[in-house]
Amino acid sequence: MSRVERSTLLKLACTLAALGCLAVVLFPLYAVLVGSFETTNELFSRNYHWLPQAPTLVNYRTVLQAQSSHIASSAIVGLGTAALALVVSVPAAYALAKYRLRATAVLVSVLLVAQIVPSIVLATSLFAVFHWIGLVNSYPGLILADGTYAIPFAILVLRAFFFSVPNETMQAACVDGASEWQTFARIVVPLARSAVITVAVFAFLNGWGDFIFALTILNGNTIEPITLSIYTYLGDYSQNWGAVMASAVVAIVPAATMLVVAQRYIAAGLTAGSVVG
Amino acid sequence: MMSLPGEVPDVSPAAREPRAAPDRVTRVRPRRSGAGIERRQRLAGWLFLVPAIAYVLFAFAVPTLYNIVLSFEKSSPAVIGNFTAPFAGVGNYRQVFADPTSTSAILRTLTFTAGSLLGQFVIGFAIALLFNLRFPGRSFGRALIIVPWLLPLIVTGVIFKFLFQLEGGAVNQVLMAVGLASHPIDWLDNPHLGFLSILIANIWLGVPFFVVLLYSALQDVPVQLKEAAHLDGAGPWQRLRYVVVPIILPVIEVVLLLGFVFTVKVFDLVIGLTDGGPANSTQLITTWSYNLSFQQFSFGAGAALNNVLLMLALVCAPLYLFVSRHSLQRSVGSDR
Repeated sequence: MSRVERSTLLKLACTLAALGCLAVVLFPLYAVLVGSFETTNELFSRNYHWLPQAPTLVNYRTVLQAQSSHIASSAIVGLGTAALALVVSVPAAYALAKYRLRATAVLVSVLLVAQIVPSIVLATSLFAVFHWIGLVNSYPGLILADGTYAIPFAILVLRAFFFSVPNETMQAACVDGASEWQTFARIVVPLARSAVITVAVFAFLNGWGDFIFALTILNGNTIEPITLSIYTYLGDYSQNWGAVMASAVVAIVPAATMLVVAQRYIAAGLTAGSVVG
Repeated sequence: MMSLPGEVPDVSPAAREPRAAPDRVTRVRPRRSGAGIERRQRLAGWLFLVPAIAYVLFAFAVPTLYNIVLSFEKSSPAVIGNFTAPFAGVGNYRQVFADPTSTSAILRTLTFTAGSLLGQFVIGFAIALLFNLRFPGRSFGRALIIVPWLLPLIVTGVIFKFLFQLEGGAVNQVLMAVGLASHPIDWLDNPHLGFLSILIANIWLGVPFFVVLLYSALQDVPVQLKEAAHLDGAGPWQRLRYVVVPIILPVIEVVLLLGFVFTVKVFDLVIGLTDGGPANSTQLITTWSYNLSFQQFSFGAGAALNNVLLMLALVCAPLYLFVSRHSLQRSVGSDR
């Protein structure tokens, strides 16, 4: 066998192996998508159907009737978390990257350690604190809690980005008479647009996908994001798997959409520190 | 989705090079008095930090400290919201360590973490090595492989619950179709298989993270080194063992460290998949703490168990700060 033939064969083998890995990794999602178009009876037949035998939209009809208010709740929580994360993180990251403050190392250490604290620890105490100040069962309470996923991450990623903004940019603005705030708001933030979008996308997904704070801080039926409603739905109607699968698809849609629309930002976020450090 | 580390500490050689950072303060000094500018800038810096400091105090410092207080209180639903619970000494801790479900949840969390990390590392490293080779479609494959990471974790749990169903679950259907099982396996009603189910689901969940970080580390290994080893007669395994692994070792350490931090926190996945059952055989510290606090309303005991978890997670804090030292040193103010 010639060298060229061997390397072509090797490439083919790699592609096949990669396809195999992807098949295993993506199979659960495929199964859910197929399941969402099947009736529950068909789902629980003895043989696996690689494609729905008689595709039906009945599950989606059920879900849209039952879940539209939950989808709206999740969207509010996601957007709120993104807004909170930006308001808190962008200025803080700028200060931690570009100002000479004695507390910087301490604050960055605190943020690194904050990421380690498990959410259940925060949830138990926040429940008590929110009970006291009347934030249980409210959007502001849930959004404040969901910020714990997003904010340390956002500050650290944005800070890493701000290091790459040349100091000359800010010096020029200062010489032209811009105040510190004007320099920040008109010059630095527009430059950081892509990092800001990355952080906002992740914060939205954190808020959308949160379950533990929704489970602990919301204890009525007034607000119920889709993550919580899938869980309660499963408990109440564990027979109707078709509808559960359709809800799962609906809950996945934002992640999938973002993967397509904001792929470059997501890739940037996932490898954040190791690339921009 | 899984929470993310904000900063994967720098390990690339480029990141360690000092950057040319002209000092703004000295440059603008001619315009105003240096001390005045410095004071004004310091004030602006602190003002930019106010929201973040307030948030960290409110959402991290207060809850973590209050959790410690709570663990020494005899709390009940009636007093949870008004901070009037009587002191309980170490009663809650005694209760936790005398309760077999709690102690086995602690041990199970350790086994679960070790098993997950082993599985995620072996599979993730293999896939990263595969994607490090050149072949058609690899960038497409890399984009798709991160999908599991972006799903809400509770949804992942529910999806696996569906896949592991006794009758009609896709796992059993596929196993039987390819002849690996003659009858449906009862994944979720058997204590041992229940643990295996949460382990498999969590490995599935974590592999993309390992792939993404290990892949980017592999990309940074200089080609010349591998070629030199090749010329010296090193085979593929030797090149991997003696050239590649030593170079990417810092990243491997970081990935395992972050993987540990993620895995001891796992909650949604288990709640969605098994709800801690059957017969508490898949309770982890997180899920059992939730059960104690929010289902048995034994907030003190829940808080005590939380503190055990916090200690376990914080074991990593010094290591985490150590691997982030380059980023921390950079912060000591040479940049502006």
